[in-house]
Amino acid sequence: MNTEIDPVIAEWFAARKWQPRQHQRDVLASWQAGASALLIAPTGAGKTMAGFLPTLDDLARNSHQGLHTLYISPLKALAVDVARNLTTPITEMGLKIKVETRTGDTPSSRRQRQRFDPPHVLLTTPEQIALLLSHPDAARLFGSLKRIVLDELHALVTSKRGELLALAIARLATMAPQMRLTALSATVAQPETLRDWIARPVPNGPTHLIKADGGAPPELSILKSDDRVPWAGHSSSYAVGQLYETIRQHKTTLLFVNTRSQAEMLFQGLWSVNDEMLPIALHHGSLSVEQRRKVESAMVGGALRAVVCTSTLDLGIDWGDVDLVVQVGAPKGSSRMLQRIGRANHRLDEPSRAILVPSNRFEVLECEAAVDAVSANHQDSETPTEGGLDVLAQHVLGCACAAPFDPEELYAEIIRAWPYRNLSRPQFERVLDFVATGGYALRAYERYARLKRTEEGLWRIANPQVAQQYRLNVGTIIEEPMVKVRLVRGRGFRKGRTTGPIARGGRVLGEMEEYFFTTIVPGDTFMFGGEVVAFEGMHENEAFVSRAQAADPKIPSYMGGRFPLSTYLAERVRAILADPMNWSHLPDQTADWLRLQHDVSVLPGADSLLVETFPRGNQHYLVCYPFEGRLAHQTLGMLLTRRLERSRARPLGFVASEYALAIWGLADLSGLIRTGRLSLDELFSEDMLGDDLEAWLDESALMKRTFRNCAIISGLIERRHPGKEKTGRQVTMSADIIYDVLYQHEPDHILIQATRHDAARGLLDIERLGQCLRRIRQHVIHKPLDRISPLAVPVMLDIGKEPIFGEARESAMAEAADELIREAMGRQ
Amino acid sequence: MTVSAVPIQGDAHAIAFSGERFVAQPSGALYWPSRNALLVADLHFEKMSSFARHGQMLPPYDTGMTLNRLTRDVDSTGAQLLIALGDSFHRNEGVGTLQDVDRARLDALTDRLEWIWLSGNHDPAPHKLAGRCLPYLELDGLWLTHEPRRGRPGLVAGHLHPAARVLIGGRSQRRPCFVHDQHLMVMPAYGASTGTLNILSAAFEGLLDRTRLAVAMLGRERVYPVHPGRLVDG
Repeated sequence: MNTEIDPVIAEWFAARKWQPRQHQRDVLASWQAGASALLIAPTGAGKTMAGFLPTLDDLARNSHQGLHTLYISPLKALAVDVARNLTTPITEMGLKIKVETRTGDTPSSRRQRQRFDPPHVLLTTPEQIALLLSHPDAARLFGSLKRIVLDELHALVTSKRGELLALAIARLATMAPQMRLTALSATVAQPETLRDWIARPVPNGPTHLIKADGGAPPELSILKSDDRVPWAGHSSSYAVGQLYETIRQHKTTLLFVNTRSQAEMLFQGLWSVNDEMLPIALHHGSLSVEQRRKVESAMVGGALRAVVCTSTLDLGIDWGDVDLVVQVGAPKGSSRMLQRIGRANHRLDEPSRAILVPSNRFEVLECEAAVDAVSANHQDSETPTEGGLDVLAQHVLGCACAAPFDPEELYAEIIRAWPYRNLSRPQFERVLDFVATGGYALRAYERYARLKRTEEGLWRIANPQVAQQYRLNVGTIIEEPMVKVRLVRGRGFRKGRTTGPIARGGRVLGEMEEYFFTTIVPGDTFMFGGEVVAFEGMHENEAFVSRAQAADPKIPSYMGGRFPLSTYLAERVRAILADPMNWSHLPDQTADWLRLQHDVSVLPGADSLLVETFPRGNQHYLVCYPFEGRLAHQTLGMLLTRRLERSRARPLGFVASEYALAIWGLADLSGLIRTGRLSLDELFSEDMLGDDLEAWLDESALMKRTFRNCAIISGLIERRHPGKEKTGRQVTMSADIIYDVLYQHEPDHILIQATRHDAARGLLDIERLGQCLRRIRQHVIHKPLDRISPLAVPVMLDIGKEPIFGEARESAMAEAADELIREAMGRQ
Repeated sequence: MTVSAVPIQGDAHAIAFSGERFVAQPSGALYWPSRNALLVADLHFEKMSSFARHGQMLPPYDTGMTLNRLTRDVDSTGAQLLIALGDSFHRNEGVGTLQDVDRARLDALTDRLEWIWLSGNHDPAPHKLAGRCLPYLELDGLWLTHEPRRGRPGLVAGHLHPAARVLIGGRSQRRPCFVHDQHLMVMPAYGASTGTLNILSAAFEGLLDRTRLAVAMLGRERVYPVHPGRLVDG
């Protein structure tokens, strides 16, 4: 493509003996040709300059009144960093371009001013755009817009934030038909889908797909350990010594783990061997914002040798000096791994280096699969999410807050947003009805309606309070309710002594999700703030813990992290397992383990499902190996226990890992299968996703958590604003109770639909389970055994460590009742 | 894990309190055979709709659900007297916001049996529904009222929405419950939209004698009297 760069800019490049890279010129050429562009480039490729070159070029040539370019990124920090990186060249070029950021941290006076006196370039987040769009002056503010630059688009499109952003872009395109998009993305599995995502809202111009050169391929290896890789668990403590040695040998090491508790454990482990007092820091989502900022700026300042972090650092500002990335624990997916590796060494011509550290035997296989996948440069990134009705409800209310709207026009605009391209008109009408009056079949709330219809057929908000309420609740990021964790003197958990007052007061250790404390019971020990503590009890917004004597916490609070093993890596793991030819480069202990499995049982096939049954103690076990991730396995476990209950197999509980599922019960499962009283093909048949799923969803705690998020996003219940006193009006209503009432009366209500939609991909991963059940149909291989198999050992070791799920829901109460009767009868 | 070894007969649980015998229902109602009366606390009718006035359009079905429960309990016990221990309406104005269909069902119920509405902190004012509105009721040596307090033996109250959490064998279960000692009984909240409060929490402190505590948790089909030593916070 032919490009002509404005002389001022060309001189600036020339003075530094630089010249614009090809992809930067291509983005400029697209802009000059009146097209939008999707630029796919690895980190370090100069994406920021590529994104802004057209803006600089246009403003160097032409004067412009009002807002010219919006830059939208998922992170506040990125907006601030880009502002800095942009201001320097603008100053050096002598251009009169005003650049400003706008985030939640921007003082409200400046935010006010930005609405009537905007800069040329505004750097901001999706939530701020939604807020700006809800003001009556939005059309005037955005009417002058010529460009939108979307950063880290691959990360945004897989979340509800991306859905809200897509709707906002469709809105902006209506207000500014001349506007063109430039989206920046890491390498993804389906670039065409991403291109379509940005092309749909601007149908009046073409959208080019530009790929930058990949740079040097990364060097990825697996940590070779002399110590045994453990059977199960996620602590990776066996590797701490070697990891410390590795940190010593590098300038700056970034150590990624999958969960907060792993980060805590690894951090503690490294400091326990840190004889040289190397500056090693910790970064995860439960640390306070100030603590995180401190770590980040120490990192930028080159003051740190290593940071142990979770996905909180998957994205973010560039740190030039990271020369090694370590992934401790399961890599989960090829694209995820490639992006994490990309956090090291931002020079394109040198390879990024990364080491994988499996924390158990199955993870050895997963790491092997990841190394193969990365060297093949295979992408398995998630597809963009389809639009949720809860997000749409928020957007519709936001539009009404800005100005009365015509439903025809709004619908036409909404379906130009990629996630909503298949939204039907009746669904839209239902969402509109929901926003106005709750959308219930029982028309109870007409008199309280939030939206009213004008005589011209437009929808407007009923009163100004609706807009105020909307602006307090805007956005799709739901903060988990947190509780303070306070250290108190323990009262000792001896048998039967679980009541009595808790000593209150004491030092605050930090904050943790309230939800976690509903999954544990007093006396349970877990790791927090680098030490093992025992849970004593809750009081209002505080959880009380005491120092525990135990060295190992009972509850690993592992909870699996947010991302399941990708379908693609799972396939590769199954392929490695199925064929002994693949075992040659596995560590000896892992290969021996698989050989043993081969001798005493069978190996799971690439396209079948292995089900082993065996007795142990006075119980009977069923272990299967779907490799579909913990969330899908949990759902499978819930549904299978229901079915086993009906087959009189008397199941008692189950435990799920990323790779396997173990169920135990009282009946002899091998016998039931042998005599034909239990059919595995029927047990695992896809129809479990029908009635059984329905019956379970009715009471599922995971479904209720999902519902809570949808209810907040859709505006049905108000967000809890941390730190702000509740006024009388803001009394919160338990989302669980609302779900119970709604599910029983209108299981087809759009909020229940939205919840199901999320559950299918989220906490219940029903979508993945469905794919699995279709894949293994008629391919269930049963292996009855006398005893536990080698492959079953890891998941069996999780029993007692991971939360156990039981269908016998009332058994705890029944037992406590029995105890009372025995006492009454003098038999205690 | 052991499974329940001693089956308890029937689906109801007998509670002896202040010289009277009651049968606790898994719904949270208390049946009083000698009076053929049904006691319920904290119905909180029209709670969801009271949120709708402020723009939170919560599902308007809670009143109907509570009425379903009440109808079932009246049918199954054959009670001829119903005593509601206050907070029957989430707000006094709730009587006026009843849906026609709910109003008709409630009227049918109040026609069927004698009805006594005790006042609560949410519904202090008397209303025009059938039955009698009273601040409290003294009956057969029992004192029925909304808010629990000490120093009046034989007091049956609601207000606190008691729940118990038991812990046994590493598993736990949290449910609404009946809780009483020799002087005071606190009934669980009956309404479909009501939340709960753990009986070990501060609100219960000083009300009940912890050494004489009797707790019966609501199960799906039956009521479970549980060992107080198994109670935990949370």
